[in-house]
Amino acid sequence: MKMDRLLKVELERLNLHLPKERISLYEALSSAKPHVVAKNGSIHSFKREELELLGKMVGEEAQKKLRLPILISIEPRLGRGAARITGDVEVKVVSQLLGKEGRGDELIIYRPEIALLRRKLPTTSQYLFMCTG
Amino acid sequence: MAQALAISPTRMELMKLRRRASLAKRGHELLREKMDALIIEFFEVLRRVREVRAKAFDQLSSAYKSLSMCMARMGTIETQQAANESKRELQIEASTRLVMGVLTPTLEVRKVERSALERGYSLYTTSPLLDEVARNFEVSLRLLIELAELEESARVIAGELERTKRRANALEYIIIPRLLDSIKFIVMRLDEMERENFSRMKRIKAMMERRG
Amino acid sequence: MSYKIAVIGDMDTTIGFALAGVTYVHVHRDIETTISKFKEFISKDVALIIITYAVAEEIGDELDRALRGKKLLPVVLKIPDKTGYRPPVDEFVRMMRRAIGAEIVIREEAG
Repeated sequence: MKMDRLLKVELERLNLHLPKERISLYEALSSAKPHVVAKNGSIHSFKREELELLGKMVGEEAQKKLRLPILISIEPRLGRGAARITGDVEVKVVSQLLGKEGRGDELIIYRPEIALLRRKLPTTSQYLFMCTG
Repeated sequence: MAQALAISPTRMELMKLRRRASLAKRGHELLREKMDALIIEFFEVLRRVREVRAKAFDQLSSAYKSLSMCMARMGTIETQQAANESKRELQIEASTRLVMGVLTPTLEVRKVERSALERGYSLYTTSPLLDEVARNFEVSLRLLIELAELEESARVIAGELERTKRRANALEYIIIPRLLDSIKFIVMRLDEMERENFSRMKRIKAMMERRG
Repeated sequence: MSYKIAVIGDMDTTIGFALAGVTYVHVHRDIETTISKFKEFISKDVALIIITYAVAEEIGDELDRALRGKKLLPVVLKIPDKTGYRPPVDEFVRMMRRAIGAEIVIREEAG
């Protein structure tokens, strides 16, 4: 049915901006034009001041582990207005930026915190919309 | 009642419709999350636009004033001459970034503020006021480039917000109600057919009992 | 990729930005010439066209029409001229009102 196809197209569009491959903070810092390529071929550039902010927060080892962009995962089963951050370095960095407690490799954040995170990392964070679960 | 779809009232059809309705509801949820996210982005960009615009236009206003003073002191023709003599090869680096599926340009400039020597006009025939004017406009330009990038991203986000809103509304007010109505229709028909079947069975049974 | 900047305005505006290093400038005199200059800038290696609110208003819809179908560049930025003129209603105010419409709907739904 036409509507179903439209819906499918729309849901696929939700995550088209996500990169085929993320790069590490370390790589980004040493690149002259740090960027990732989206699934649809578009280029997404990172702003140097964000990279430097993140670089100051973690040591070299962690910089190699931290993948950019940091994904803000919207999963309907978390309820509206909530999102998940995964990855231990990512969790460390995000909780520090938000001024909240964060341990382990998973962190749930809420709308005002999402807004704050987006304000601090406009190009080095991106939304991910989970269609399942 | 929304216009129901023309379908055959079978169990198979009911199952298909229920699956589609569930998909549509999930899609609607996700689009609403996307709208929430876009609204966060939009208001943040707008806040930055206002902030940078205030700074940029303030700086620009000072620049114009200093230019008037300079032209009064040096002469309009002479000032224009100096402008023609300056090096005018300012480059900006343009790339793109993505805000939730939509592309917006990034504009970065490395060096815009120059020393009097670097600018190219003769230092002997011009007043130091001119240096001030040039510097004022250079600073304005840096802020205006930042403003241009922000304004454009606001436009792009607003556009995507409209699009997403329309899709979410179509789901909520047209597609989902239509599906739910069709489901109701089928359930009703299946119940009816079940009842008809049941009473027919009862009649047959009664008839058979009378015979035998 | 590297691009240049273009400025369209009155004499003062163009002098000021030329002193700051802007490559292309055009002093507005009549609508037709300015529109064709504008179109010229769109097809050149220009990433940013700065134009004063006053001139943009005088040109009117032609401006938006010339931009139709453009890809991402150039970005057009409107600025006040030396009189400080800015139009009473901002495009962003209008945009915000439409977005706020969406915001209110979401707030109501969330209860």
